[in-house]
Amino acid sequence: MIYRLPFFRGAELLANCDAFAPELILCAAIVLMLVLRLFASFTRVHMGYVALGSTLAALFMAVTQWTGYGQTSTPTAYQEMMQTNSLFTGLLVYDTLTVYLRIFLLAFMVMVIWLTLLTGIPDREDSADFYTLLIGSTIGMCLMASTNHLLMMFIGIEMASLPSYALAGFLKGRRRSSEAALKYVVYGGGAAGVMLYGISLLAGKFGTASLPHLAVHFATSLGQVGATGLHFDPLMILGTLFIVIGIAFKLAVVPFHFWCPDVFEGASAEVAGFLSVASKAAALALLARFALVLSGLDPNADNLPGAHWEEMRRYLIPTLAVFAIVTATFGNMAAYLQTNLKRLLAYSTIAHAGYMLMGLATVNREGTKAVLFYLVAYFLMNLGAFAIVAFLRNQTGSEDLGAFRGLVRRSPFMVVALSVCLLSLLGVPPLVGFVGKFQVFAALFDAAKGYGEKDHTLSVILYTTLVFGALNSVLSAFYYLKVMKVMILERGLEDVEGKAPTPLVMPWGDQLYAGVFSLALLGLGLYWGPLDRASAEGVERFRPEIVKAEVRPTGPPRGMTPPPGGAPTQGPGAGGGRPGGGRPGGGRPGGGGGRPGGGRPGGPGGGRPGGGPPGGGRPAPEVPENPGERPR
Amino acid sequence: MTLQTFLFYVTALLTGVSALGVVVTQNIVRAATWLLFTLAGVAGIFFLLREEFVGATQLLVYVGGTLVLVVFGVMLTAQGPFINMKTSAAEWAISTAVGLLLYTVLALSVLASGPLATAPEGTGEITSASQLGLSLLGVKTGSINSYLLPFEIVSVHLLVVLIGAAYLARAKRRRGAAS
Repeated sequence: MIYRLPFFRGAELLANCDAFAPELILCAAIVLMLVLRLFASFTRVHMGYVALGSTLAALFMAVTQWTGYGQTSTPTAYQEMMQTNSLFTGLLVYDTLTVYLRIFLLAFMVMVIWLTLLTGIPDREDSADFYTLLIGSTIGMCLMASTNHLLMMFIGIEMASLPSYALAGFLKGRRRSSEAALKYVVYGGGAAGVMLYGISLLAGKFGTASLPHLAVHFATSLGQVGATGLHFDPLMILGTLFIVIGIAFKLAVVPFHFWCPDVFEGASAEVAGFLSVASKAAALALLARFALVLSGLDPNADNLPGAHWEEMRRYLIPTLAVFAIVTATFGNMAAYLQTNLKRLLAYSTIAHAGYMLMGLATVNREGTKAVLFYLVAYFLMNLGAFAIVAFLRNQTGSEDLGAFRGLVRRSPFMVVALSVCLLSLLGVPPLVGFVGKFQVFAALFDAAKGYGEKDHTLSVILYTTLVFGALNSVLSAFYYLKVMKVMILERGLEDVEGKAPTPLVMPWGDQLYAGVFSLALLGLGLYWGPLDRASAEGVERFRPEIVKAEVRPTGPPRGMTPPPGGAPTQGPGAGGGRPGGGRPGGGRPGGGGGRPGGGRPGGPGGGRPGGGPPGGGRPAPEVPENPGERPR
Repeated sequence: MTLQTFLFYVTALLTGVSALGVVVTQNIVRAATWLLFTLAGVAGIFFLLREEFVGATQLLVYVGGTLVLVVFGVMLTAQGPFINMKTSAAEWAISTAVGLLLYTVLALSVLASGPLATAPEGTGEITSASQLGLSLLGVKTGSINSYLLPFEIVSVHLLVVLIGAAYLARAKRRRGAAS
C-alpha cells in the first residue's frame, strides 16, 4: 500500500529544496569531506580546498536566488511557495532577508576559509574536522536567519553554538583554549536552557510556536485587560524575555557577555574572527525577525481587527534600546584597559553589537536596513583586524600589544592595513565603517522624529539612544588610537637598544589578503550605492505573512471548526486541521487598489477575489486561481 | 478525582522529587540514578497525555540510551576528586535563592496568566506501525506543521557534533609518527 504523504506533494518538496539549496550543498560538503578522508589518496589533501569549493558553489546558488528572486517563469509549486514565502510548511521563511543573510554568511565563510588556508591553523590532519565544524555552524546560522518557528529557532541556535564550542577549544593542549571552550559550553548551556523555558512558556500559553501566529496572539491579547487586572499577560512577557536573553547571549549583549572576551582570547584569531562576525550576524538577523514579526511589520497587519501592534512596540523599543546603550558603553569602557589585542577586539565587538542593536531598537524597516548595511562593513573591518592579528601572530609569536611596539618600522604594510581596519571600526569618514554608523544613527533619528507626535516617551528613548551612540563613538577613539599609537609612535625593543629593527617577512598571500580588505573598506566607503540598494532590498520584501497566518484569537478550540467547504479531505486521523479556513486564500493585496474592501478573504477556499490586478508598487507574482485549500 | 488526575499527581511527584535528588546529591553516580527516575517520570507524563510516540521515544532515547552512556562515561572517566562534588555553603545559598526566585516568578506568572492553550485531542496516538514510520519520517498527521526539516537537519547537526566530540577526545598524533 502506498501511503499518501498528507503534507508534502512531491513538487512542493522539490521547490522547497530548491530554495534551500545552499544549505543542502553545505550539508553535502560535510559528508563529502568525511568520505574523502577514507581514501588513502586523499589523506594528503588539505580539506580547506574542498570546503572552499563547496562554499563557493553554495554562494553561487544563493546569488542566483537573489538575482532571480520573485521571478515567475518557474513551475506552479514554486510560484505557490513564492506566494506564501514559507519553506517546509511554514517552518522557515524565504524572503529577501533570508537570501541576503545567506549570501552574507557564505561570502564570509569563503573569506574565513581563505584566511585559514593562509595561516594554516588547521593542519592537513585536522582539516576535515575543522571545516566540518565550521560548515555545520554556518548551516545553523543560515537557519537562524530564516526561521519562522520557535522550534527551528532553537535548533538553529544550537546548530550554530555546539560546533562553536568545539572550535573555541580547537587548539588542544593549550590551557587558555580549553578554558575558553569550557566557559563557552557552560554559559551556552545555561542560555539555551533559559531560552527553552521561554519557548515552552509561549508555546504552552498560545498553543503554537509559529512566529506569525504568536504575533497575532500577542497583538490581540495586549489590548485586553486580563482577569487579574493586568494589561499584559505575564507569561507572554516572561517567555519573550527569556527568548531575548537566549539571543542576547549569542550576541554577547552586556549582562550576558562574560564568555566573549575569554573565548576570543583563548580561541585562535581565525576562530575568533569567525565567531565575532558570523554568530553575531545570525543572532542579529534572528532578533530582527523576531522583533519585526512580533511588532507587526506586515503591509496587511493593520487590517487585523483588534490588534495592538503599537502596544508591542512600546515594550520592544525600550528593551532593545536599554540593552543597546548598556552594551555599547560597557564594551567601549572595558576595551580601553586591555593589553591583549584579541581581548581588546573582543570588547570592541561587544561595543559594535551595541551599535547594531541601536539600529534594531527602532523596530522598523529603515533601522533593519541600516543594520544589514552595517553588518557588511563590520564583516570587512572586523575579520580584517582579526586576520592581521593572526598574520602578525604567525610572525612574531605574540598577540600582546606590547610586542607590537614600533611595528611600523618592521612591517609598514601590515600596520597600514590594520590601521585602516581600526579607523573603520572607529568610524572615520572615507571608510565604510563611517557610512554604516551614519545610517544607524540616521535611522534612529528618523524613528525618534516619527514618534515625536505619536508617543513622546518612545521618542525620548530613541533620542537618548542616539546621544549615547554618538558619545560611544568618541569614547571608542581612545583605544583604537591607542593601538595605532603603540604600533606607529612608540619605539620597539631593538630600537631602544640601538640596533636596526629586523623587518618581518610577510608572505605575499597574507599581504594580498590584508590589501583586499583595506581596499574593500576604502572602496565601499566611497562607493556605497550598490550595497545601500542591496540592504534596502533585503528588508523591502521582508514578509512575515501575518495576515495569512491563522487569525483566531478567541475562536473555538481546535478540532471544533469544520473543515472548509470544497477542500480536499484531510489525511486519516486529522482531527485538528487548520481551523478558520487555514490560509485564507491566495490573495495578497497587491499594493494599491484592486481589492474589493481591502480586507483579506475570510471565506474558505477563496482564490483572489474580484480578480483585481495587483496594483503598482509591489511586484507580487501573478498567480493563477488557487485551487481551493491545499491539504496540509 | 479521576484516575488520570491521580496518576498525573503521582508521576509529577516522582519526577519532581527525583529532579530535586539530581541537584541535591553530591555523588555523581547517584545523580545519574536520580536522573533515570526523572526521565522515566517525564515519559510517564507523555503517556498520560496520550502522546505515546513521544513517550516511547523519551524512554528509548533518554532512559535507555543517553543515561546508559552517562553512566558508562562516569565509570570510565571519573577518578577520585570528580566522583564527589564539593559545594560550599555560599554556593548552596546562592543557588537555592536563584532557584526559588525563578520558581516564584514562573509560578506566579502561570497563575496570573489564566488558562493555557488546550492541546488538540487525540492527534498523537500511534495506532499502527506505518504511522510510527511516518512519524519518524517527520510526517505527522493532524498537525499544522510537518516536522520533516527539523528531523533531517538535526541528523546533520548530530553528525557535526559527533565529529567535534571525536576531535576533542582524540589524541593528537605526533609529527614524526604520522609521516
